[in-house]
Amino acid sequence: MRKYLNVFKISFAQEFAYRLNFIMWRVRNVLQILVLFFLWTTVFSDQGRVIFGYDKAKILTYVFGVLIVRALVFSARAVDVAGEISKGDLTILLLKPINYFRYWLTRDFSSKVLNLGFAVVEIAILFPLLKPAIFLQTNGYSLLGFAISLTIAVLLFFTILMATNFVTFWAPQVGWGAQFFVIVVMSDFLAGSLFPLDILPAVVQKVLLFTPFPYLIFFPIQVYLGKLTGMAMWSGIAISLFWLAVLSILTNKIWRRGLLVYRAEGR
Amino acid sequence: MEKTILVDHLVKNFEVTEKTPGLMGAFSTLFSPKKKVIHALKDISLSVGKGELVGFIGPNGAGKTTTLKILSGLLFPTAGVTQVLGFDPWERRTDFLKKISLVMGQKNQLWWDLPAIDTFELNRAIYEIPTRVYKESLDELVTLLDIGKLLNIQVRRLSLGQRMRLELVAALLHQPEILFLDEPTIGLDLVAQEKMRNFIYEYNRKHQATILLTSHNMDDLMDLARRVIVIDKGRIIFDGILEELVARFAKEKIIKVSLSKEDDLKKFDTIGKVKRVAFPEIVLSVPRTTVAVAASEILQNFPVEDLTIEEVAIEDIIRKVFRGEAPLRKRR
Repeated sequence: MRKYLNVFKISFAQEFAYRLNFIMWRVRNVLQILVLFFLWTTVFSDQGRVIFGYDKAKILTYVFGVLIVRALVFSARAVDVAGEISKGDLTILLLKPINYFRYWLTRDFSSKVLNLGFAVVEIAILFPLLKPAIFLQTNGYSLLGFAISLTIAVLLFFTILMATNFVTFWAPQVGWGAQFFVIVVMSDFLAGSLFPLDILPAVVQKVLLFTPFPYLIFFPIQVYLGKLTGMAMWSGIAISLFWLAVLSILTNKIWRRGLLVYRAEGR
Repeated sequence: MEKTILVDHLVKNFEVTEKTPGLMGAFSTLFSPKKKVIHALKDISLSVGKGELVGFIGPNGAGKTTTLKILSGLLFPTAGVTQVLGFDPWERRTDFLKKISLVMGQKNQLWWDLPAIDTFELNRAIYEIPTRVYKESLDELVTLLDIGKLLNIQVRRLSLGQRMRLELVAALLHQPEILFLDEPTIGLDLVAQEKMRNFIYEYNRKHQATILLTSHNMDDLMDLARRVIVIDKGRIIFDGILEELVARFAKEKIIKVSLSKEDDLKKFDTIGKVKRVAFPEIVLSVPRTTVAVAASEILQNFPVEDLTIEEVAIEDIIRKVFRGEAPLRKRR
């Protein structure tokens, strides 16, 4: 355990070495939120309007929920894994008595803590400025479901990200492309970062809910909003757990196969 | 002697996709990749005892680094058996990893944006080094390598030589029993090289550590390695003590002649290969088998003041080995 505590510490220190980069990344996040905020405020300019079961308070809560959940789920250091493999720097970690997955999960965790810290500050600034009518969940049951689904979301994203990065074992040049495709297109879009997925046609929603993607962003927020309770919530949690198990096993297999072809290049 | 490293009929093949140059070429490889198998190691067998310091030499691409990488568990061997400290390296067991270290001259484990001491602390946690051992280890390494002032400086601000020494510390904090060094002095200036060599020698002596090193630096081998293993094209072509290498590979001897007065130097060409003429001294290289005949011929036909017969210098032999010109005589 101490190993990973130290990994956490050094990773945290490392993040601070690139302050400017980090700030730019946060600025991007804030801009994205502002765009969403103004978009939905305009749509709901008519007070009392309800679209797809969302009134102004709920859609704004959704938007701010995305800010926080995204900061937690999508902020990851493991995006560097692809580069590490293709440059042969993986060698350094392979030589050490440390679990590769836990190492990167820890580094992700440090990145998440940092991002969450900033997200809280940003919200503290944006909140009084925008004065959004936000829905505060008080039901402990929904909050518990939210905490569980959020944890699953974090692990699910980590697993998907690792598997994507492992493509580099076989195709050293496509690492970034694969990541872009999976993270930006599939995860961001299908996860519900840009709009709540329940505005999509019912058939599409049904299909989507059997994929792992909605469980990254959309599902946890729905649980928070109290839109999914009881059976709907638990079955969602079950499906996402199922995906987590399947993808973990698969990712581990890919990792083992990848090591067989790893060439420890880079000199 | 206790065997620390055992390698038996080790084979390693790499499959690579051939790239044809140009845009069209890139397209055609995308759809019909041409696979090619590279035989990096063909049939390697060797064993190393505890505390030995062995130098791996051979031309580029001979398979030296590949061997080290297999021994440290990075590469999966195609065939054959490898055993290091009783472990199969490929399994990368915690107990195994805690006892070895691989240092590559061009691969850095120090965190670039942080001071080296941070990486050391991280390694202390990862290798679960007890505080007392860590302090001892660090103190010793800091003194030996003279890096006390560098510990708290961001790694990116250090020179290559300073960085290499710190890399070495990071690799040795856990006091490995086996040390694989891949080109440990590459890119270092002469003073830094000397420091590095002294240190490796000391570490080997003090900790009874088994050390395998590859190097293109002649001095590394001359100063450090008693035993050398010559690898060429994936095969071991020599394994023995350094002096024996000369006897094995030197097909020629050197005759040095001092003349008492000038003579027609062209005539020397018929006797042997003239390597250097700096009147009154002439240096010839002559096949071993005919060296006696050549010497008497010189004595009869030239005004000789002095004549000596010498072995080819070890440096010259090693240089030939690096160029891949080592004459392939059968192993014992």
